Amino acid sequence: MNFMISEVAGLSGPQLQKLTEFLKSSDLRYEGGAEYTVFLANDEGELLGTGSLCGSVLKYIAVDESLQGEGAAAAIVSKLVSRAYLLGRKKLFLFTKPQNEYMFRSLGFFTLAESGGAVYMENSRHGLDDYLDSLEKGGGVQGAIVANCNPFTLGHQYLMETAAARVDTLHVFVVSEDRSDFSFQTRFELVEKGTAHIKNIILHKSGDYMISHSTFPTYFIKDKLKAEKANSDLDLTLFAKRIAPALGITKRFVGTEPFCRVTNAYNESMKRILPEYGIEVIEIPRKDAISASEVRRALGKGDYETVKKLVPATTYEVITKQ
Amino acid sequence: MNIITTGVAGTMESSDIIVTVEPKAGEGIDLTLESDVMQQFGKQIEKVIRDTLAELGVNSACVSAVDKGALDCTVAARTMAAAYRAAESTDYVFNEVKKK
Repeated sequence: MNFMISEVAGLSGPQLQKLTEFLKSSDLRYEGGAEYTVFLANDEGELLGTGSLCGSVLKYIAVDESLQGEGAAAAIVSKLVSRAYLLGRKKLFLFTKPQNEYMFRSLGFFTLAESGGAVYMENSRHGLDDYLDSLEKGGGVQGAIVANCNPFTLGHQYLMETAAARVDTLHVFVVSEDRSDFSFQTRFELVEKGTAHIKNIILHKSGDYMISHSTFPTYFIKDKLKAEKANSDLDLTLFAKRIAPALGITKRFVGTEPFCRVTNAYNESMKRILPEYGIEVIEIPRKDAISASEVRRALGKGDYETVKKLVPATTYEVITKQ
Repeated sequence: MNIITTGVAGTMESSDIIVTVEPKAGEGIDLTLESDVMQQFGKQIEKVIRDTLAELGVNSACVSAVDKGALDCTVAARTMAAAYRAAESTDYVFNEVKKK
């Protein structure tokens, strides 16, 4: 079959509407973020396939049933990959349903993890291994914490001090996506300064291998709660199966979560999944119910007295300077 | 030829191949091939890629290729283009692609 392919940077008005409608007909939901979109149409101009590039993630890949098996998906993915390379993005990722895993495998993607009705794939066979090789290794009994630290509070400091006292090496992964109020660079600096007194701690950049709520696309999972569960299951499976064994991590520490439903659900999944892989989950009661969102609220209001009570001096100094 | 960055050439459309050439620590060619016709032509495609790189004097690279049934001449041409791009070289020597 003949088809024409067109590429659009950004999306607005009728094109956006066309995409949204087409995705809807394929049981997918447009949830924003398409920087660059490929449209595939027949000679009559009827839309038969789409795909978008969002940062380094390929999203919204859908092909009309009449064209399936005709290499339409390959044409779309091909265009998106070439565009990504032109933009200097070489490490590419995608999330899909298990039934599409085989197709993406034939397009040069490799599975990082599969769980909860979703598959996470990367366009390199050795991307994750390279990341794991690049991490500083520890010894003895080793534990891990994954945190965004937006910004680093007395609560984070307490959690890390308590956890570090219970293991020989504590690995702290700071989420490296730049989707928070504070940039990754600032957040990392705050953690570095705030944990300088803890001798057995190793700080890492989370890289692309820890999936947070902000990157996980939910567009292909109908039910919102199911999507959240798929997100945490995928993230935890990847951690338990690949990351923890590479570093020798056998304990994962986490603060109790009295406020946020999503985070609390994540902690529950952690307790369900990690022990299956021999990783003990240790919940540490949150110190004085401090939360980073409370700090951000106080900062927003210019209430520096409250901020001062919630963060270490090292954090206070940096964020008030900004 | 020294591989200093990532170079890509080709597409994933039918009868084509997309070849990605990246720098690698140490000697040797680390090749990953994905092909629709792996059973029938996997070894031959791999040979064409390796021979083409050897002719260009590339002896250290990470190469991944996704083949959609490309002919040998296409495989060689895409490999050459990807290698030149990865070497950031424009000193093309347009010899006729040798029959393999």
